[in-house]
Order: sequence, then structure tokens, then C-alpha cells
Amino acid sequence: MSAIMQPGFWIFILTMSGIYGIFGLGLQVQYGVGGILNFGHVGMMALSSYTMAILVISHGINFWIAAAAGVAVAALGGAFLGLTTLRLRGDYFSIVSIAFSEIVRYVIFNSDNITGGTQGSLAIPPIGDNYPSYTDAWDSILRHVQDFLQPIFGDIVDREFVMAIFIWATLGILLLIISRVERTSWARVLRATREDDEVPAALGKNVFRFRLQAVVIGSIIGGIAGIYWALESSLLSPEDFLTVVTFYGWMILILSGATKVKGLPLAAIFFGFLYGGTRFFTFFPFSLVDSAQRAYIRIMIIGVVLIILMMKRPQGIFGKRQEMVLE
Amino acid sequence: MSNLILEVNDVAISFGGVRAVNGATLNVHVDSVTSVIGPNGAGKTTLFNLISGAIKPDSGTILFQGLEIQNLLPHKIADRGIIRTFQGAKVIKRLSVLENLMLGGQDNPGDSLINFFNPKARQAYENASRDRAMELLQQIGIERFAHEYAGILSGGQRKLLDLARALMANPTMLLLDEPFAGVNPTLVEKLLEVLEDLRTKHHLTFLLIEHDLETVMNISDRVIVMAEGKVIADGEPNSIYENQAVIDAYLGTRKASS
Repeated sequence: MSAIMQPGFWIFILTMSGIYGIFGLGLQVQYGVGGILNFGHVGMMALSSYTMAILVISHGINFWIAAAAGVAVAALGGAFLGLTTLRLRGDYFSIVSIAFSEIVRYVIFNSDNITGGTQGSLAIPPIGDNYPSYTDAWDSILRHVQDFLQPIFGDIVDREFVMAIFIWATLGILLLIISRVERTSWARVLRATREDDEVPAALGKNVFRFRLQAVVIGSIIGGIAGIYWALESSLLSPEDFLTVVTFYGWMILILSGATKVKGLPLAAIFFGFLYGGTRFFTFFPFSLVDSAQRAYIRIMIIGVVLIILMMKRPQGIFGKRQEMVLE
Repeated sequence: MSNLILEVNDVAISFGGVRAVNGATLNVHVDSVTSVIGPNGAGKTTLFNLISGAIKPDSGTILFQGLEIQNLLPHKIADRGIIRTFQGAKVIKRLSVLENLMLGGQDNPGDSLINFFNPKARQAYENASRDRAMELLQQIGIERFAHEYAGILSGGQRKLLDLARALMANPTMLLLDEPFAGVNPTLVEKLLEVLEDLRTKHHLTFLLIEHDLETVMNISDRVIVMAEGKVIADGEPNSIYENQAVIDAYLGTRKASS
């Protein structure tokens, strides 16, 4: 009970929601606009975070350059996935995309002397005698902002608090950009392609190009989420990038209503609360069962809430029902 | 030679064991209305799919304005100026009627992501495109549906939308697959006026598939008759009625009654 009263807990929920919100936004561009079912989105997160960590730890490269390189590698990953598979029918792309993210994870898992393998980023070989950490530069930024804000807002401003600000500012900016992109004729063509290939092609639109661009943009956004993920957890492990993470992103997307971006922040917070918040269901009647049993009950509650939501609002919080049911 | 806009030479395509188009040869003249008629399964729509690049021929060549196009992708062929409509009309159901039309705009700067950073150019094009689209919607009489999803339109209205969308693309040549089937007679008349206007003022060339013989005979400069994947007759409308092969394959006893 007490945990729910702590502001720190809510800030943690905000941080996680923000990261997953950014992650989900990548899927929104691909699916909500382009109808592309990408089930390997977590692979982009893995590519960007590990690229950044390896460049900083093993090569001593400036954090910002490393982070940009990480996002670029995620974009390349998306381009590779798109170029090789996007010409296949939609459902094949989905299957291959799962395989893609699993391949990325297994490569990380097995490349011990580059990625640290099973031991994660702590085993990435550092230059010289350095401690294998990639968060130093970021931490000093956080500290500066913290020192600046603390006199104004008081003790509530801790590392996590500043982190949440950065993440939500990023999500806000990305939402602004993407919602504008989604009002261009580029997005209109992409929306047409989610229903039909022939019509846009017969009107002179290169359907493949539009789809590929959507996948790459989504991958860039997924890559940004990966950088924040790495910074938030301060150490990486291949286990962070299981396929289930992709489906957390999907959960947010479906909750928010896939075709509109405006529901995404709310859906992300809702997900964050279900995901993190239910851990703290220690009060009655949950106090009757022990913590191991509570863990299962938590998952069940998430499931029940999702089912109820999907029954009552299949179009998501802000989606348009008509857009789902038109034949 | 220079008078020909489209030349289809000995084109063939098989699906499995069926030769859908089997050595078809035909020409279309600039500024003309050419109709393709023939029984169901004659290969008319397949011919359209070949010309528009939706499928590639096994053999033969297709020349548009003197250049080979049979190996080009559909969007490249559309870029050259050949725009098609679809049998049964294809609309993007989850886009509004207006958006469906605006999809037809060619060389739209907003289609390129780079121009995200050039909102002025995008907006100027969008505004012009929206005006043109509304004008077309008025012409085909469905402007009151402009902001509704195209999925709510009736079959006939979808057909009109498909046609108007093709016109949005400012084509050089229009391929119309049964444009008048299921459209009420007064509107057909109106459409014919629109098409005639386009032909005389904008030098548009039409190739159309149509079953309504009266319309075909009225509007066509030339009629091409297909049967079993081949062109069995090609000539002026009147000569088609006289052709014994056409009577056997397509017209049947109808000729006597007309």
C-alpha cells in the first residue's frame, strides 16, 4: 500500500510508460498508418542500445555520437528487414520480423567478446581499466538538470524524475512530428496501401517505397526507445529484448486505437500502471495471498482489464470504430 | 505510326494451363475512343492488367508513345500517363471520398518525405488538389459525401469515384474497365459528356471495356473484339456488326433484334 503513496513509484511508472510509449509510437507509424504488422520491433531497440553501449564502453566514443549511431543502426536494421521481406505478403513479413528480432537477440547472446553475451553489458570489454558503463555522460547531464530543478521543486527531483522529464519531452516532440507527418499526402498514400496495393500503384505510387520508409521511420523511433531503455536500466542483457516486449508495444497501440496518435500517451500510462503498478497490489484482498501468487494474479488482472477494454472499446481509447468495421 | 499512342504486339500470357491472352495485337490512335468488347473470359481485363503493368506478358511487346512499357512496374507506367480504373471499382474504403480523389494527384511534393520540411510547397499542392477534387465530385454528383469514408458509397458511386480519381491523375490515356455498368442512365449521359469534353479539350485517349453495345457504338471511334484471348475483329463500329466472326463469338442473335 505504502508504495503507491510514494511519488517515486509514480515517477517510475511514468518513466517506463514513456519509454514504452516511444516504442509503441514506432509501431503506430508502421501499423496504424501503413498496416504493416511488425512483430520484431524489439530488435530495433536491441540494435540501438547495444550499438550505443559497445561504442561507448569498448571504443570510448562520445555518448551522443554513439547514441546517434545506435539509432542509425536500428534504422539500417529496419531497412534490411524491409528490403528483404516487405515484398512478401503482409503475414509473411510479420513472421519474418519475429525471426529478425530473435536473430538479433541470439547474435547478442552469442557474441561474448563484443556484447558480453549472457552476462550483458557488464561484460562488454572496456578500454583500459574503465568500468564498463555507458551512462556516465548521461548521468552528468541528469545531475546538472537535477541541481537546477531541485531548488525550485524540492526533494521530489531525483535522477528518475529528471529521466521522466527527458523521456516525456522526447515522446512529446516525437508525437508532434509524427502527427504532422501523418497529415501529409505521404501518409495518405501509406493509408491507401494498408488496404490495397493495386490502386496506389495504378496511380503512380511506388507502394514498396512508402512501406519501406514507414518501416525505417518506425525503426528509428524504436531505436530512440532503445537508447532510453539502456539509460534507464544502466545495464543491458539479451533478456531485455524478448519478443514479449514487442507485444507490450502492441498492447499500448491497441489500447490507444491504432490509427490515431493522440491516445498513445494515455494508453502508455495505462499500460505502465498495469505493468508496474499492479506489482504493488499488496492491500486487501491481495494481502490474503503470498507474493508469488500475487504475481500470477497481477498477470490475470492485466488480462481481464484488457479483455474488458477490448469488449467495450475495440477501437481503442481514441480510435474511430467506423474505421475498423468498414467493408 | 506517329498517330499511334499504344501498340500491343502479339502479347501472350498464361495462367497455369490457360492462355488468358493468346497473341493479341491491337493499336490505339491518339485522341480516340477505342472500345474492347467480347464475351466473358475473352481476356479483356487481362489485357488491361498487361497494359497497366499489373502483370507481365510471357511474350510480345507493348509500346506507349513509341517506348516499350511491358517490363515496367505499374507505378512507372502510371507515371508515363496511362491511368486505369478497375472492374467493379476499387475505392480505398477507409479513406474519405475526398482523400481517395486526392490520392490521384501526380508529382505531389507531399508524397516525398523530404518535403516534410517544405510545408509551403506541400500546402500549395494540397489546396489546388482539393479544389480540383471538389470540382470533380460536383461533376459526378457525390460532393455531399466528400468527407465520408468511401466505404459507405454504393456500387455505382464507387465506380464514379474510381473514374474521377483516374481523372485526378491527369492521364494521357485512360483505361476504363466497364465504367458504365451499374451507373444510372442519366449519369451515364453526363459521364459521356465529361469524357467527350476531356477528349476534345485535353486530348485524352480512351481505351475502354464495355458490355453495353449501344454506348459502345455511340462513343467509339474503333471497336476491338476479343474472344478466347485473341483479337478477332478490329474496325469502325459499323463494320463490327457486319463481321461474321463477331456475330458467332459475341453478338449472336442480338444483331437481328437491333
